[in-house]
This record gives sequence, structure tokens and C-alpha cells, in this order.
Amino acid sequence: MAEKQRIVQVKNPKSGHYVKIDRKEGKILSHKKSDGPYKGVTIVRKSSK
Amino acid sequence: MIYYNTNNDPVTQWINYNPRSCFLMTQLGGIRPLDLTEIIDRTKRILDDREIKLLDGNSEITGKDFLIKIWKLVMSVPMGVAIVTKTIKSSAIPNIFYEIGMMNTLGKDTIVIKCKHFKIPSDFIRTEYIEFDNETYDHKFNNYLDRVFDYSKYCVTMANNLTAKPILTLDYLRRAYLITGDADIKTKAEDIMSRESFDEHTLLMLKSAFEIK
Repeated sequence: MAEKQRIVQVKNPKSGHYVKIDRKEGKILSHKKSDGPYKGVTIVRKSSK
Repeated sequence: MIYYNTNNDPVTQWINYNPRSCFLMTQLGGIRPLDLTEIIDRTKRILDDREIKLLDGNSEITGKDFLIKIWKLVMSVPMGVAIVTKTIKSSAIPNIFYEIGMMNTLGKDTIVIKCKHFKIPSDFIRTEYIEFDNETYDHKFNNYLDRVFDYSKYCVTMANNLTAKPILTLDYLRRAYLITGDADIKTKAEDIMSRESFDEHTLLMLKSAFEIK
């Protein structure tokens, strides 16, 4: 898995903050405390399926 | 593990979940005040339009311990709506906030619908609420439901990106399925369950979450 896609971020609609994920490890790395996305981390768009 | 609130033992039996449902927390017994009836009726109509079942403590007659019944209902739903007005019996209010606490602990979405002058206890300051108003209520409550369904999409997205950890993935899918009742989510979960190996207890808990007999 390429490094760029290994770490991604998703916006949690409940908190309004981004969550950083390690897709290869299946691990939640951190929850952003401030507004806006993490710099340099791919944002994953929401899917319903 | 999920624990019973009466004996602290973990649940080891099939849980009857209610996907696409909402648990109503309000005064159930006694003479129901008119303003409360109006809010409940409006809420039920909006939920009906979205094919979401409204359940309350009287929805199932089991003849068993009332607190266990409430706990099982709380566990079975994706969300809960608490309705508090100045006119409801004061003895009902602690029960309502206790149930909100249970729901929050179990990771369920909750919202408080309150009349204008009702003061929410300070511990619930972070709990979302809507002040009932004839003109704007439908719009506000629909907005809340939109956000709950938006959260289900977040859960699916998280599940899709955490596949290296099947239990974590299934937990996100479980919550999305409980909100939407979407058959595609269930199929995805079934697929993971058929590929991975789980112990008997874990498999039972997972199968009940997705209503897989």
C-alpha cells in the first residue's frame, strides 16, 4: 500500500473533526482537535455502501 | 463485551435489535399533558415518514423486570429521543435522564426535545437539544435525523478503511446497519464473517447485530 494512501483521514460528522486512520494496520491514529483537515493527508469521501 | 445493568454480567445471549428505530424517553404513565401529546405526535409523524419505528417502554410486554426491559430496548435501537416539558410529572424526569445516560454509554445517538422554559441538567450540557416550537420543529427534527443518517455513512467509510481489523470494521458496520437497516451493509458484514474466524460468543453477538439467524 503506497504511503500516501496508507494514512487517510475522514471527517466525523458528530464531532465535526477529522480522524486519521492507518489503513494497513486498521488503526485509528488520532482525532484532530482543531477545525479543518490534517495537512498532507488524503481525505476519504463518505460512502453509504 | 456488553454488560447487563442489573447484575453486571456480560450479555451472552441473542440480542433482538431493532434497526431503523428510535427509543422514546418521556412520561409514559398517568395522564399525558396536551403539550407532550402534541410533541410526541409530531415526532412520530416525522419518524413514520422516514419508516423509522418509534419504541417506548410499553412497546413490548414481557412481564419481566421493567429495568431490564428498558435496558434491552435501549440496546436494540440506534437512537433515542427524550421529550421533557414543564407539565410532565417531576418523578418521570430522573428516569428520562437516566435513560439518556444509558443510551450515551452504549454509543447511541440521543436528542432532547424540550419546551421553552425547561432547564436541562448541567451534566447534559453537551447533549444536543431542540426547543419545541410549532413553526420550526419539523425542520429541526428532520435536520437531526439527517445528521444521524450522515453518521451512518461515516461508519461505513470507517469500516471500509479499517478492514485490517475485522472486529473494528464489523462494529462500524453494525452501527451503520442499526441506523439504516440497509441490506447491502448486512451483506458486507456476512462476507467478513464468512472469511474470518471468531469464537462462538463473538459470532453470536455479531450475528444478532445483523439479524443473521
